[in-house]
Amino acid sequence: MDLRVIFDTKHRAYWNMGFDESLLAHLDEIGPTLRLYGWEPPAVSIGYFQSMEEEVNVDKAKELGVDLIRRITGGGAVYHKYELTYSIVLPAFKGRILDSYRVIDMAIIKALKKLGLEAEHHGINDVIVNGKKISGNAQTRKYGGLLQHGTLLMDVNVEEMFEILRVPEEKLKDKMIADVKHRVTSLKSEGVDVEFEELQKLMAEGFQEALNANIYEEDVPQKIYDYAHSLEVNKYATHEWNFRR
Amino acid sequence: MQPTSGISEGKFDYKAGKLIKVRAVFEGDKIKEIKITGDFFLHPEEKIEEIEASLRGKRIKEIEETLRESMGGAEYAGISPEDLTYAITEAWKRRK
Repeated sequence: MDLRVIFDTKHRAYWNMGFDESLLAHLDEIGPTLRLYGWEPPAVSIGYFQSMEEEVNVDKAKELGVDLIRRITGGGAVYHKYELTYSIVLPAFKGRILDSYRVIDMAIIKALKKLGLEAEHHGINDVIVNGKKISGNAQTRKYGGLLQHGTLLMDVNVEEMFEILRVPEEKLKDKMIADVKHRVTSLKSEGVDVEFEELQKLMAEGFQEALNANIYEEDVPQKIYDYAHSLEVNKYATHEWNFRR
Repeated sequence: MQPTSGISEGKFDYKAGKLIKVRAVFEGDKIKEIKITGDFFLHPEEKIEEIEASLRGKRIKEIEETLRESMGGAEYAGISPEDLTYAITEAWKRRK
């Protein structure tokens, strides 16, 4: 299989989600494609089924300049700041969707191996290192293909995260922060110091190996950008979409 | 005293692997309005609206059968007809 790789930079949340969906919508034309990117300004993405008001302190996010966005994929709320994000579009695998997480998560495991870290798939959609989550992943199937996107934490600041994410009970906030610190790690926490661009390369190699793919770099046609822009403006940046549940 | 008729509201958060949050308005023992949110996975995602719609107007004792039908053909994780039946029933028990 040939796999197109887009070594992208950091973008606004609305563009990131619009571009991911546009890639999926044009899978037939562009073929399997991997995009490696970041977020600027930082953002919180929530899963398709989550309620923005229940998950996020909206006023605080505004005050801190953090964008808020709903994904087309399920799963939980993610604070995107110190991380590398990937998205991959592929023809849908046969079999159960939940089993296919394992296949794609293997790319992350292989990339982490190159950094000297032993990682493994955990639960439905996580990758863990030393028993702690370092990567969360979510998948959808539409337009005849699959889109999986996920994060690889380069650093983590749990206090900063919980300034924006709501906790069920305020009095339990300190306990929750302590709990998350026990359950979440990052490259930095594991003693790995790597630049964003270097990590992009390692991740591309991880996908190359995990999917047994020939990777190549080539930009996508203009119309994919145009459709991404249309989704950015008319869907992902709208209150109607982001606060629909 | 829990109301036996009239309008009431109930909510329940159920950790079934992932978290399922049910927010519902009941009229007697019928579901008048319901919103199901959480960090679960359901494919295709748009099915959630159909599931919510299928529950409106149904009696509590009809939930499980309704969900077996409306969730049929979907793939899910962290949420199942049984999980959701439990969460809605618990929301109903806690109605105010």
